[in-house]
This record gives sequence, structure tokens and C-alpha cells, in this order.
Amino acid sequence: MSIRLFLLVALLSTITLVNFIAALHGYRASMEEAQRLFDRQITGTALLLAALPIDRTAPLVVEENDLQAFQVRSADGQLLMRSDNAPTTPIGDVQEGFSEQNFSGFRWRVYNHSAAGGRSIRVAERVDLRFRLADEVVLQSVMPILFGLPVAGLLIWLVIGRGLASLRQLASELRHKRAEDLTPLTLAAPPEELLPLVRSTNALLERLQASFERERRFSADAAHELRTPIAAIQVHADNLANLLRANDAAAPESLRQLQESISRMAHLVEQMLNLFRVTPEHYPARFEPIDLHRMAREVITELYPAFARRGQEIELQGHAAIIRGDRFALVLLLQNLLNNACKYTPEGGRVVVDVKQQEGVVLLRVQDSGPGMPAEERERVFERFYRVGGDRHESRAPGCGLGLSIVHHIAELHQARVSLDTSSLGCQQSPGLAVSVIFPLQVSK
Amino acid sequence: MLLTSVILVLREVLEAALLLSILLAMSHYLELKTRWIFMALAGGILGSMVYGAGIGTVSDTFDGMGQELLNATMQFAIYGLLLLVGILLILNRRGERRYLPLLQWSMVLAVTLATLREGSEVYVYLMAFRYQADLLQSVLLGAFIGGGIGFSIGALFYYLLVGLPRKRRLIVALTLLALVAAGLCLQATQLLEQADWLPAQSPLWDSSAVLSENSVLGQLSYALLGYEATPTRNVVAAYLCGLLLMTALLLLAWAKSRSQP
Amino acid sequence: MESRIKRWLLRTDPRNLAVAVVVALVVTLVPALPAQAAHPEFQLEIRDHLFYPSVLKVPANTKVRLIVINRDTTPEEFESYELNREKVIMGGQKAVIFIGPLAPGEYPFFGEFNPKTAQGKVIVE
Repeated sequence: MSIRLFLLVALLSTITLVNFIAALHGYRASMEEAQRLFDRQITGTALLLAALPIDRTAPLVVEENDLQAFQVRSADGQLLMRSDNAPTTPIGDVQEGFSEQNFSGFRWRVYNHSAAGGRSIRVAERVDLRFRLADEVVLQSVMPILFGLPVAGLLIWLVIGRGLASLRQLASELRHKRAEDLTPLTLAAPPEELLPLVRSTNALLERLQASFERERRFSADAAHELRTPIAAIQVHADNLANLLRANDAAAPESLRQLQESISRMAHLVEQMLNLFRVTPEHYPARFEPIDLHRMAREVITELYPAFARRGQEIELQGHAAIIRGDRFALVLLLQNLLNNACKYTPEGGRVVVDVKQQEGVVLLRVQDSGPGMPAEERERVFERFYRVGGDRHESRAPGCGLGLSIVHHIAELHQARVSLDTSSLGCQQSPGLAVSVIFPLQVSK
Repeated sequence: MLLTSVILVLREVLEAALLLSILLAMSHYLELKTRWIFMALAGGILGSMVYGAGIGTVSDTFDGMGQELLNATMQFAIYGLLLLVGILLILNRRGERRYLPLLQWSMVLAVTLATLREGSEVYVYLMAFRYQADLLQSVLLGAFIGGGIGFSIGALFYYLLVGLPRKRRLIVALTLLALVAAGLCLQATQLLEQADWLPAQSPLWDSSAVLSENSVLGQLSYALLGYEATPTRNVVAAYLCGLLLMTALLLLAWAKSRSQP
Repeated sequence: MESRIKRWLLRTDPRNLAVAVVVALVVTLVPALPAQAAHPEFQLEIRDHLFYPSVLKVPANTKVRLIVINRDTTPEEFESYELNREKVIMGGQKAVIFIGPLAPGEYPFFGEFNPKTAQGKVIVE
């Protein structure tokens, strides 16, 4: 329900009701007053007729206008004088005073007056005409109230709009707030009624900010603190393995699994640290012109042994493309994308990296010939610790579910967009995955 | 002519507007779309033109009693629809959202019939003054004022109902619905008496000195409570029966909806 | 009070209640369904938005068949708050309205479309 519509309808209804009833009342009162005036006019005519000295045997017929008619009778009931529009039979009530009657095809208001000497005078006025005359006059005073109504409506509409302006401003400020923007609302001179809303919203934002900060710091600290003991465990496990090997004893299976678990945990902690490092609100980015194509080649070279180990073919396509970016973050992004591609593509598969500039954007695309990702999962993989199919991913590749979150953060840092699609390298059984990161050439600040 | 127009139009508009605001408020409670009202109003206005144009023909049927019988039938039909609306409202009172199409169509039909019935009289009245230019202005002005007052009361009434506390609004709306519905039974009975289909007796009482049917307040009570200054025994009985039947069925629906898990 | 009614309703078979209501309706309304006896007839005419005669005398405590003929070309609505009657009569049409039985007294009626001139009263004696 719109407040503005509610106020408009409710106010306009109230005004209409009050005004119209007042107008009605005024109309009725004026009409009654007009009828009294007409009645006095009738009595005046009656008195005038009573004063006329008439002494005749044949009745005198006098011409009259449409409005009035009269009869004058002597004490013995003989018609002395009448207007040409009055009948010869007596009109009106027997009793003295006012009454209403139909004759000559109209309805009349009749005044019966007994003059001195028993003479009876009856004066009648046409009801419809006197009503119409009064109506015409009184209507003129009612009109302005009606014509005022649309004006009142327009004014109310504008006034309400003005009154609700600060509410609209607040709504638009909230609407345009970015999800991660927790800075307090700034409303220029908020009205008294909105002050509590602005205050409590700002208090809420502040608490939210503080709790975000706590969470981030705790995780980062925890990850950092875990690094040292994990490194120590790793060293001890290696030493144990070396010791066993030196004694020519076969390393038991459990030791191999222990070492594997330790390296996974080390990877997890490293990824967590990376994730918190590149959180857009906190990352101290140093932007510089970077050739993404060249950087991709360097990262591929660095990671080539991993691809070679799995017999995978990796290829770099495209041409030089310069963007403004943060070197450390972008390397991290490429590493994560390529690690994922390597991990989830079966042995002997293909990975193609493509960098090119087109239509105001720089496109980085990593495609593989792996199993790909169902469409309904594509939104969720950016969530932290989310892995397609949980830990029982068919690739059996170890992972912690943070890679794409990191990619997402870094993309956001560069105001870039990440989208997932099927790969052109895929086939029916394994559609492959194409991760595209689209960097805008013009970075707004 | 202004006053005549005001009274005539106000009486017709008020009845339809009050019914409309009650049903609209109920739609609001159930969070239904309120677009149905445009359909109902358009249908009602169109229908009232057709009925108004053909009222002479209608009158000549049933030994000159066609008008009374058709109007009474419409009133009883609206009564039945309101009964259905009330029951469905109760079955939906905890947001079950059951039978919603049936509910909406009942509302549409009820408002259409009410508008048609009240609108036809206004249509005939306005058409009578179409060629009397000297009176037309006054007549139209009066119609405008009467319509304005009627719709304003309807709008304020609607906001009053919508603004009621959540706990009590269903009871209030149902009570109003039952009263309006009982008023329809009363009017229909009066029409049947007029047509000599029901016997008539002398009025049980005469309260016109206390509250005249001719006044704005009298019109409001007539539209909302079915107020009648000089009712006969049958009319009172019909009112009470209509009220009782509706109350009983609504309470039953309530009890039933409560006993269900 | 309210809860007691509800408890009672819950215990009562809905069908019993419906039957009770229908019986109540029938008992009140049926005792005198159309007793189409011959009713005395009276005639009213509407001419130039006037009623002729404008005073109509009818017998007391008798149902009366009133025939209203509209001789005008414009429609009129016969209306009386005292008689509780209301009927639209199109131009040139004849309408039948039953009134009464009435106690002695005066019962004004008017034409709702032209109430200033179309006025009259029924005098019941």
C-alpha cells in the first residue's frame, strides 16, 4: 500500500465529505430562505389585493405573469376578480394560510387570506418556477466548492510528495547501498519521524561491521597461528619417513596417508589466508598496468610440472592485453583457476587459456575438458567451503572449496565479472568447464 | 433539483460503496489482488445501463411485477454470495489460501450485481434529464455531490476496516457483512410485499421521528444496517432470519475450521 | 458467552442447526403466502410531473391495488418512505403497486425524479 495514495484518498475523501455536506447544508438553508422570501411576496400581493376597492357583479379577469395566480371572493363566496391563469373554482385550502395544490396543469403554493368584511383572497405561486428561480441563484454559491476540489486534490498530492521526500531519499540511499558497504546512512536533516529509523539502521550497520571484522580477524589469526604447528608436523612426518627409509624399513601405509592429510591441511590454511588477504574491503591493492597475457604465460610455466604429471595438454591463446590490476592478486587468481582446471580434468585432458581484448573489456577464459559443472551449482560454488558434490567429488581430487571464492574476491577487487559455462573443449559425456573473468578497461573508483 | 439528485444518487452509491469497501478490506486481509474491483465495477456499470434501458420491458413481465421480482432475486443472490464469501473468508483466516478463485468470483459477482441494481436507477434518473438543459446542470451537480459523499464515506470506511487491529478485524468485517446481508433480505422482502407475493401487515413501529430515512445518517444506517423506519412483521422476520442464518453458518464454519488441525 | 456458544456449536450436528434455521424461516414466512384475493383498485396518473389525483382516499386495514399510469414521456419513480414503496415507472407505462393494509392516517408519496411538483398523499380512513 502506498502511503502517498492512502493520504491522498483519505484526505480528499475527508475534504469532500466535509465540504459537500457543508455545501448541501448551505444549499438547503438558502433554499428555505428563498422560499420564505417568496412566501412574503405572496402575502404582500394578498394584502395589496385586499386593499383594492372592488365592487362588481361580473368577475374581473386580470392578466398575470406565469408565476402568480389569484382569486378574490366576496363574503358570500362570489368571485369578484381573478387572474387569467386561475380557475373559477376556489383554489387552496379552506383554512387560512399556506397550502399546496394542483390546478391548471401545475402545482401551486396557495395563500388563503381573509380580509376585513369577509372577503377572501387567494394568491398562488407556481412551485416549480419559484423552486427553479431559487435553485439558479443558490447554485452559484455551491459551484466554487466543487471547482475547488480538483485544485485541493492537486495541492494535496504535491504537499504529500514534498512531505515524503525524505522518506524517498532514505529509500533510495538504502537501495543504492552495495552489499558490502556498511558505512552509516547520511540523510541531510532527517525529519523527526525518520530520525529513529536512521539511528537504529546506523547502529545496526555498525554492529554488523564490527562482527564482520571480528569474524575476519579471528579466521585470519587462526589460519596464521595454524601455519607454524602444521609446518612443524610436516617436518616431523618427513623426518619419520626418512628415518624409516634409512633403516630400510618400508614406510607403513598410514604414514603415507598422514603425510597426505598434512599437506591438504597446509593447503587449506594457505587458501584461507589468501582468501582473507584478498577480501575487497581490506586488501591494500596497488594498481599498475599489467599484461594479463604475459602473466598467464608465467603462471602456466610455473605450474607446468603439475599438468605434465597428469599428461594434460595446456595451451595459451590470444594476445597481449593490458589492464590495471594488482600483481599479487592476479597471480593468485590465475593460479587458482589453473589449479582447478588441472585438478578436475582427467589425465590426458586438455586445458586452454585465452586472453584477449574486445569491446572495451579484457577477457580471460580458462577452459577444460573435464566433467564441467551442472547449471544449478554455478551460483553456489562461489560460497566459501562449497564443493560440487561435497567431499565425494568424483575426481577424488583433494580441495578445500575456497578457490573460486578467492577468484570471486579478486574479480570484485578489479570490478570484474566471473561467469561459468560449458566449455568448447567438452563432449557429450564431459561437457567441460569454461571460467570467464571479464575485466572492464575503465576502472571506476 | 440539486438536493433531489444528491439524495437519490447518494442512496444508491452508498449501498454499493459500503459493500465494496467491506469486500475490498477482506481482499486486503487475505492479501489478494484487488484488480477484481475494476472488472466488477465495469461489469456493474455496463449492466446497469442495459437494465436501465430495458427496465420498461422488465416491468411488464409477471403481471407488472417484473421489476420487484428481478430486484428481489438480485438481493437474495447477493445475500447468497455474501454468505459464501463469509464462509470462505473464515476457511482462509489463517492464510490457508484455499478456494481463492471461488472467493474472488463471488466478490466480483456480488459487487457487479449490487452496482447493477443501484446503478440502473441512477442511469434512468440521469437519462430522464438528458434533454432538459435548464435542469441538467443542477441534476448533474447533485449527482456529483451525492456520488462524492457516497464514495468518500466508502473510502474512509475502507481505511477504517484496513486499519483495524489484526485480532479483531475479521470479526468486525464478518459482522458488517452479516448486517449488510440481512439488510438485503429486508429489502427483498419489502419488494415481495409490494408485488403481493408476500402478505403485508401494518408496521410494527415508526421510528421516523428519531431517525428519518430521508437524512444522510438515515441513508447510512439503511445501507449498512438495513435500517427501516416503519417495518412490517415479515420484514423484521426476514431481517432476523437472514441475520441468524448467516451467523449460524459462519459460526459453524468457524468451529469447523478450528477443529481441523 | 461466546465460547459457550462455540462449544455448543461444536457439539451440535451441523445438519440439525441448518434444519432448525430453515424451519424457523418457513414458520415465519409461509403462514400467508399469496392469498390472491381480489383487492380494491385505485388509479393514479402522472401528467407533467404532477399526480392526479394528488389526494387519494383508501379504506383502512385493507390491501389495495394501486395502478399508477405515467402519461409523461420521461420516467418517474413512485416513492414513499411512509408506505415503504419504491418503483420506477418508465414514460407511458402503467405500474401496479400493492399497498396496505394500513392504519388510518396520512401517507405522503412523491415522484422521486421530480419531488417538488410530483407530490401527493394517501389518506386512509
